[in-house]
Amino acid sequence: MLAQNSAYQPDPNWRVPQDAAMKPNPLARKPDAAAGGKKLFLRNCTECHGQDGSGLVKKHAADLQLPVVQNQSDGTLFWKITNGNPDRGMPSFSKLPEPQRWQLVLFIRKLKPEN
Amino acid sequence: MRLTYIALFAFSLFASVTLQAQESPYFVTYDHHLEEPGNLEIETSSTVGVPRAGQHWFFAPYLELEYGVTGRWTSELYLEGQSTAGDSTIFTGWRIENRFRPLAREHWINPVLYLEYENINEASRIRKEIVGAAPELNESNAELRATRAHELETRLILSSTAHDWNISENFIVEKNLSENEGFEFGYALAVARPLATLASGKNCRFCRENFIAGVELYGGLGTTQGFGLHDTAHYAAPAISWQISDNTSLRFSPAIGLTHGSSPALLRLGYSYEIRGFSTKLARLFGAKP
Repeated sequence: MLAQNSAYQPDPNWRVPQDAAMKPNPLARKPDAAAGGKKLFLRNCTECHGQDGSGLVKKHAADLQLPVVQNQSDGTLFWKITNGNPDRGMPSFSKLPEPQRWQLVLFIRKLKPEN
Repeated sequence: MRLTYIALFAFSLFASVTLQAQESPYFVTYDHHLEEPGNLEIETSSTVGVPRAGQHWFFAPYLELEYGVTGRWTSELYLEGQSTAGDSTIFTGWRIENRFRPLAREHWINPVLYLEYENINEASRIRKEIVGAAPELNESNAELRATRAHELETRLILSSTAHDWNISENFIVEKNLSENEGFEFGYALAVARPLATLASGKNCRFCRENFIAGVELYGGLGTTQGFGLHDTAHYAAPAISWQISDNTSLRFSPAIGLTHGSSPALLRLGYSYEIRGFSTKLARLFGAKP
């Protein structure tokens, strides 16, 4: 049974430039780096997305387990973490070093339900 | 008396509470990062002034309440005081600051507009910005506190991130609304970088990733009645911040005076605590649905 934030509606205006969407994760061959991503997620993201990423804590926060999120490319997720969507409540996390934002992408992939 | 101030300074090193995540090490320069919407950051900071001959040590603490109003607007309230050796301890005023980020996305150079109203007296010593000509530090607190200043400060903040380096430039203009003395100008420049850019999987207080080191350069550029570097104060200030825990951090900066109009040194210390989801918690306290 998936935790679902039924109130979540993706923002159609939150568009990622194509070159950004195509960026590969430089940490893709370092799966151990996801542990640091989990630490960063718990510190920075759970307030809105919840500990399991389901987004139930704040009604507009994305359910990161959903296919609509998991099917986005690594570059897309990285761009969204970097830029945020300030008019819809998602802050920019450009203050985090670039490798740490890629670590968050690694960890978000681990939120995908196995089934 | 000097020992008293050293003791106060040492006390301020330890008498802090936990605070915010990934705090910038800067004390004067602003970068383009705003407070997350709904979060409240409480910070206690202090400026200790090392005196020249004929001057006195001073200790100027201030309390800062920073709130993320929206994703593009952060507002802060400051309360400040100062204590001068051989003189008195006084409340020097309050300030309200607002920062607006006009562009929604990250860019090569990110502008932020800054507007602050200051209701202070002439005894203020927190040196949150250095503008105009070098200050006179020989008058007593009793004389200085009698002169109130209603000031408006604006800044153009420009900030960039490149290869995990932050590079920030602030251009400062200040106007004393209480006096007909023209505009005062100043600047602040800074660079900083985390000591490690990859997060370890362990919770650790002393990991290099928890430290950000940088350097600031700031000073006055005179007034509309005398623009330039003549008789102005300038400082070079290495700075470091330490994220002690998830929502607390400590930062320190010894600023070295570069001109005859500067104090020989300003020792700055800051300690902050971040309450995440403050607006939601406050709403629940009053029974409202967040």
